[in-house]
Amino acid sequence: MLHRKYATHVFLVLVVCGTAGVALRYRARHDLQHGLDDTAWRLMYFIEGEARRAAADLRAAAPADTAHCRVFRQDFRQENLRINPRGRSSAQGWEVVARAERPGRCQMTLRFDLRLNPRASWLTHELRGTLTADQRAMWLRATPEIQVHHPVVSEILTAARDGGASQSGLAQRLYQFCRAQLATEDVEAADDAATVLAEGRGTPLGCARALLALCRAAKIPARPVAGFIVTAGDDAAAHVWVEVFQEERWVPYDPVNGYEEELPSNFVPARRGDDQIVMARGVRNLRVEYDIDPLPRGVLEITAAGRSPADILDLTRLPLEMQRVLALILLMPFGALVTCLFRNIVGLRTSGTFTPTLLALCFVFADWKTGCIILVAAFLLGIVTRYLIDGLKLLILPRLSIMLTLVVFCMVFGVSALEYFRIAPETQAVLLPMAILTMLVERFYMTSQEDGARVALQHLAGTLAVGFCCYLVLCWEAVAQWILAYPEAHCFTVALLVLIGRYTGYQLLEPWRFRDLANERAA
Amino acid sequence: MVRFRWRCWAWPRELRQAGILGMNQRNASYILPHNPRQYFARVDDKLLTKQICEQAGIPVPHTLAVLERQGDVRRIAGILGDRAEFVVKPTQGSGGRGILVIAGRTAGGWITSAGEEIRQADMQYHLSAILAGLYSLGGRPDRAVIEERLTRHGALAHVTVGGTPDIRVVVYRNVPAMAMVRLPTVASRGRANLHQGAVAAGIDLSSGRTTGGVCRSRIVDTHPDTHQPIAGIVIPGWQELLAASVRLATRLELGYVGIDFVLDENRGPIVLEANARPGLAIQIANRRGLLHRLRAIDSDALPRLFSVSEATGSARHRWRDRHVLGHASAR
Repeated sequence: MLHRKYATHVFLVLVVCGTAGVALRYRARHDLQHGLDDTAWRLMYFIEGEARRAAADLRAAAPADTAHCRVFRQDFRQENLRINPRGRSSAQGWEVVARAERPGRCQMTLRFDLRLNPRASWLTHELRGTLTADQRAMWLRATPEIQVHHPVVSEILTAARDGGASQSGLAQRLYQFCRAQLATEDVEAADDAATVLAEGRGTPLGCARALLALCRAAKIPARPVAGFIVTAGDDAAAHVWVEVFQEERWVPYDPVNGYEEELPSNFVPARRGDDQIVMARGVRNLRVEYDIDPLPRGVLEITAAGRSPADILDLTRLPLEMQRVLALILLMPFGALVTCLFRNIVGLRTSGTFTPTLLALCFVFADWKTGCIILVAAFLLGIVTRYLIDGLKLLILPRLSIMLTLVVFCMVFGVSALEYFRIAPETQAVLLPMAILTMLVERFYMTSQEDGARVALQHLAGTLAVGFCCYLVLCWEAVAQWILAYPEAHCFTVALLVLIGRYTGYQLLEPWRFRDLANERAA
Repeated sequence: MVRFRWRCWAWPRELRQAGILGMNQRNASYILPHNPRQYFARVDDKLLTKQICEQAGIPVPHTLAVLERQGDVRRIAGILGDRAEFVVKPTQGSGGRGILVIAGRTAGGWITSAGEEIRQADMQYHLSAILAGLYSLGGRPDRAVIEERLTRHGALAHVTVGGTPDIRVVVYRNVPAMAMVRLPTVASRGRANLHQGAVAAGIDLSSGRTTGGVCRSRIVDTHPDTHQPIAGIVIPGWQELLAASVRLATRLELGYVGIDFVLDENRGPIVLEANARPGLAIQIANRRGLLHRLRAIDSDALPRLFSVSEATGSARHRWRDRHVLGHASAR
């Protein structure tokens, strides 16, 4: 009883350990999988201007972290400017603040290295909640470019309201109006809201402003967002889209590219609440250029935490060739499990405990054709030789050594013969365990002498049958990959072995073996 | 005559009802808990078993010589002299492997009980093979023992071909639980090996009378070679045999043990060897499962080991009559 309780505890502990191990590793691998989708980008700002006085300042909004984007490295170079290393954090975002040291030409180059991952969902400080009265007034106000009270704006708004939409539905209708009615032109077009709405065309900035004006006129707080669309291309430029305050959060709309409520992962905002990335005070002839370039992925790995002892537990980091061998070794317990199932549950007799598993292992290394031909040849020749050797009356070790030599010859010339007949043998067939094959022959011979050919053949058939099943398991590529990734799953294997070890019921072949006894009772 | 339907399968439920002991249950519930590992050597080494038997006054075959080194093999002719009948055995063999029964002498060698001629070189090779561990468990180097050949008892002569029948008693917690006799046939080449086609016959524990037989796991009523009925033969000296089995099991301190006897014309039942992992074929020979009997022995809450006098005393007899012998089938 004590044993049973103990075995139950061991079983439960193993199952819990296995589950925990697999779950932990699954999480870790999940993150790693995300890592595979990572791309690295370099975003450059080239800012140039002429300071009219000392203490003229430049403020450049840095790309903000989003659920899909992280800045992992940054670097600033400047001329005639002093950069505040801490920058300035505000409701609009994080800015690089530089102050001119003396009047005259000044310039700075900002470099941000971004890590982008479309499948990640990194934590962001998303602001939720109501707006204060000041904030609300700010995001409803009219500006020279966003003419909230312009008759064109009111007219369109009245038309949109006719549908009787709710406040949030209204924002969506306004976005759809802009998307459908406003043509985006890059040059020679207006960029203030009233003109864009009147003419039905405008610059991308103008279109964004038109949507802002409509929203604000409808008393929906709305703000511009200046940022970047991170793609490979020559003409990198800042892009402006709109955020509308709906249901206690800021919801993005991009009337130019046609995105609502959710933006693609390569949209990286820089400044919220204004449509300029770089703002200057006391600077003349401001010139701003941007550049976006992809970086090699290796950059990300260098910046990763580096090697840690925990990596030892991760077998998937090893070279592929090594992985293949380790996966096979990791499959061995499954082979042993199969053997246990056949011997203890089915009741099949085999010659030698792990002979079937080891034979199967060799067949995996060699191709099965070569393996079979050499196995059969070596076995038959071995049996014949064993009968012949018997007349010599040799002691056991020298006799076994002679058999081993013969098996070796069979293998070598078997491979050679296959090559001659162009059956393309695998030299790995030589890895067939010679000692095991020798013992198989010896056991077969001894059993046939002691218990008769019938029993010997039964044992041989059992060995081959179990070996074949082991082979099927060892060949299972998906299982090999899986067990290499989750080696702790062998906790389940051991748990199963504990169960089999505690099984005291009938073996499957026993009802057949004892059939007469039950028949007699039935009579 | 028992009539039964021929089937090639029995449901596990039927086996359970019949009280059949399976391989897994034998190992896990009887051998593991009742046979301490450190005492296995007492049965695995036949010389040790013999010593224990001699100490307990249980008759065993007389030892003529023990060969321990390869050097002894060359002196075999001198050791054996002109002895014409003897048996060569490995001390750690199992399942009757490596046993050579010599029945007569020729000019250059010997004749086995099966009629094969063995020359001196063959004998030396056989002894060397034994010493090299060919027949021992796990291939360990072994010793060879040369014993007197026992005289076959006449009681079983009409159902024996070529060799010597042996009697197996399974003793559980020092109470005999089941017994059978193995009868050599032509197919088994004079050996009492069930795999090779020897006949096994159950023995009624209370009377020592054989019941029907089994050959190659199928029920037979007559000996396949002599065609004599197998059932109804009374084993001579049955009570001494049972008492000896109980005494030996007590000395071996093994709770689940099979003890093999042969019947000698002059000396009666003689212990050949003991086995700490007795097979399950005894159930087929008796056409009865072991489990009910083992459980009956358990249920009496016997002390794990008890003295021989207690085991053979009248109280035990009554207990045995009631629970184990003969009436167990009613359970």
